[in-house]
Amino acid sequence: MRVAGPLVAELRKTLTLPAAWAGIAVVVLGSIAITVLNAVTTRSAIDAGTPERVANTSAFEAAFAAMPLGTVGAVVLGVVMISSEYAANSTDAGGGRQITATLTAMPRRVSLLAAKATVLVVLVIAVAAITLPITAGIATAVIGGAGTETVTPAQALMRGLGGALYWTLTGLIATAVTLLTRSGLIAPIVLIANSSVVSVSLLLTNLTPLAHWLPDLAGRRLFTGVDTVDGGLAAGPGALVMAGWTVLLLAVAAVVFRRRDA
Amino acid sequence: MGTRVLAAELDKLRTLPVIGFTMVGTVLTGVVIAAALAASAAAQGTPSTVVELVLAAVPFVQVGIILLGVLPAGHEYDGRQIATTLVAVPDRARALAGKTMATVAVVGAGAALSIGAAHASAAIAAGVTEVTLTADRAPWRLAGAIAYLAVIGLLAHAVAVAVRHLVPALVAMLGLMVIISPVAAGLTEHARWLPDRAASQLYADTDALLTGASGALVAVAWLAAIGTLAAFRFIRLDP
Amino acid sequence: MPAGRARDRMVGMLLIDQLVKRHGTRTVLDHVGFEARPGRVTAFLGANGAGKSSTLRILLGLDRPDGGTALVGGRPYRTLRDPLRTVGSMLDGSGAHRARTARDHLAWLARSNGIARSRVGEALDQVGLASSAGVRVGRFSLGMGQRLGLAAALLGEPQALVLDEPVNGLDPEGIRWMRGLLRDQAAAGGTVLLSSHLMAEVADVADDLVVIAGGRIVATGTLAELTTGYDRLEDAFFALTGGDAGAHR
Repeated sequence: MRVAGPLVAELRKTLTLPAAWAGIAVVVLGSIAITVLNAVTTRSAIDAGTPERVANTSAFEAAFAAMPLGTVGAVVLGVVMISSEYAANSTDAGGGRQITATLTAMPRRVSLLAAKATVLVVLVIAVAAITLPITAGIATAVIGGAGTETVTPAQALMRGLGGALYWTLTGLIATAVTLLTRSGLIAPIVLIANSSVVSVSLLLTNLTPLAHWLPDLAGRRLFTGVDTVDGGLAAGPGALVMAGWTVLLLAVAAVVFRRRDA
Repeated sequence: MGTRVLAAELDKLRTLPVIGFTMVGTVLTGVVIAAALAASAAAQGTPSTVVELVLAAVPFVQVGIILLGVLPAGHEYDGRQIATTLVAVPDRARALAGKTMATVAVVGAGAALSIGAAHASAAIAAGVTEVTLTADRAPWRLAGAIAYLAVIGLLAHAVAVAVRHLVPALVAMLGLMVIISPVAAGLTEHARWLPDRAASQLYADTDALLTGASGALVAVAWLAAIGTLAAFRFIRLDP
Repeated sequence: MPAGRARDRMVGMLLIDQLVKRHGTRTVLDHVGFEARPGRVTAFLGANGAGKSSTLRILLGLDRPDGGTALVGGRPYRTLRDPLRTVGSMLDGSGAHRARTARDHLAWLARSNGIARSRVGEALDQVGLASSAGVRVGRFSLGMGQRLGLAAALLGEPQALVLDEPVNGLDPEGIRWMRGLLRDQAAAGGTVLLSSHLMAEVADVADDLVVIAGGRIVATGTLAELTTGYDRLEDAFFALTGGDAGAHR
């Protein structure tokens, strides 16, 4: 019962933030849009008799192409949960920041961070549970049996779960970074850019194999079944390494949060 | 009279610490990435040119440029300074023009410094790591890269004015440039009409349909569209 | 002579005329009209949400009214060149970005309106922030932020002052200083319009009162006129705005 109170409070706080809904909308609607575009393009290529125009004709792959958007949404959620605490009100409204109310209501800061982390996990998984089946369904409906399915349903499920895990861990890293830096700018820049084609980590792998142990690269196999990176960690060990980074960053953030003035 | 507004806007940027940090960070990104690309080419034994190395660093540098472009307008909405600005300069068209020119200055300086530093870094790193250097074909592409970055920075500014929030504008621009754009490019050839894809023809020669000039025109059209919407919001609506 | 004096009066006067403002279906300002005359301190009294800030925001060109006009010296605020040299205002605390220093904030303000750079130091001295000039605004207390907002209002040595809750967060010394500042401004022929809901302060400093409730003006007049028949301004205020039963004689 003592756990439920703070958890529900943090959940309500987050769900009443317009920015959180904006992030969720981006993931859900954006993923649907990209999947539709992808599926229609694939279908028309098949129908025109030129299936080699597209990378592959698998319906599941068409749906998975939108997965990077989920990272953006998770980062938005992670950032917004912290930055909303530190945003200052107008002097008309007393000029205060929410962090004061939050910490007087819940002075155990590590528990507070744990509650926020739990809420993030719940929300990201919920969004994944909604988005991935819908996109897979749309892609299957549009492409249907016309394409050659290279992904078995079991594989699709594993990749969906892996993707959701990647989103969740990235969102948690965003929370930790935003709490440490108290700036809403750094996490988006580092995490969104790095999980994309402009990945500094990926570039570093050409110089040293140690780069494969960076959190976003370690988790890369969670995203893609196809080997896009040579010499990286397999999905399982990679997930563990990424989770390890996440726990480490959250722990550092928790320690700093506890000792710092509000 | 208009120079006062521009001078005040430049004062604002000069005294905002994050602008300086971002400028330094963007230039350093250019230096480090160019060197890393050179080392990478050496490690894999692929021949390259110094200019090619610099151009390959542009997508990384654009992340910092996006932040530089979002900040001048975005920081006004990160707090309530926008009301102070509009009370000081109630002629909103003039206020927006001044702010836009200041953004161009900051983004242009960031782009030029980053490309210049990246060039030096690539040249040095290529020598140190003994990259197989082939002759540079088109050094004018460096100017195209600077122009591309300026366009991206301006686009970020337009988005920030339209969106009226700092972090959402940053996330939107980043999402569009580094996620949506490449994904769309992988899906359809029509992605060439996206502003960053079209503008990239200023320094890359990868598209069958668009040249540097026509690509720039497409990007300017996007800028005009988003900019008009943003200007309307800024000038006509309550802050 | 009379025409010249009328023109002088126009120069400093703040005129609100039949102002209407709606937010969706809610009418925030319902034909609000009053004057703030030069040489006098006009207090704009009302409960929270009565429409004081909305009126001032329209006066300063921030929001657009759905009807009516708000004029500064006969002209809309937006048509003023270098408005900070005509009207100094403080609407929402410091109005500064938290990462900038107090000095740098006033510096860009001064530059934007062609105000001499030396005024920055003078204004900071005047409000007692000289020692905090190089401190980031984010570290300011509520009172310091208010002082910075006041420094911004005084920066251009304007003829008129428009202040929203100016004594909010000030300590007793600050309140007394503010009272002196406002009376000096009025005595020198300047126009002062301040909105407040602190009855004691208003009773000490105001010449004219404008009382607003529910978006409508319920009373205008001199302080003496409006408090006739009441023990305190507070009683008059509640009676006029339909507050508690009131304790008038």
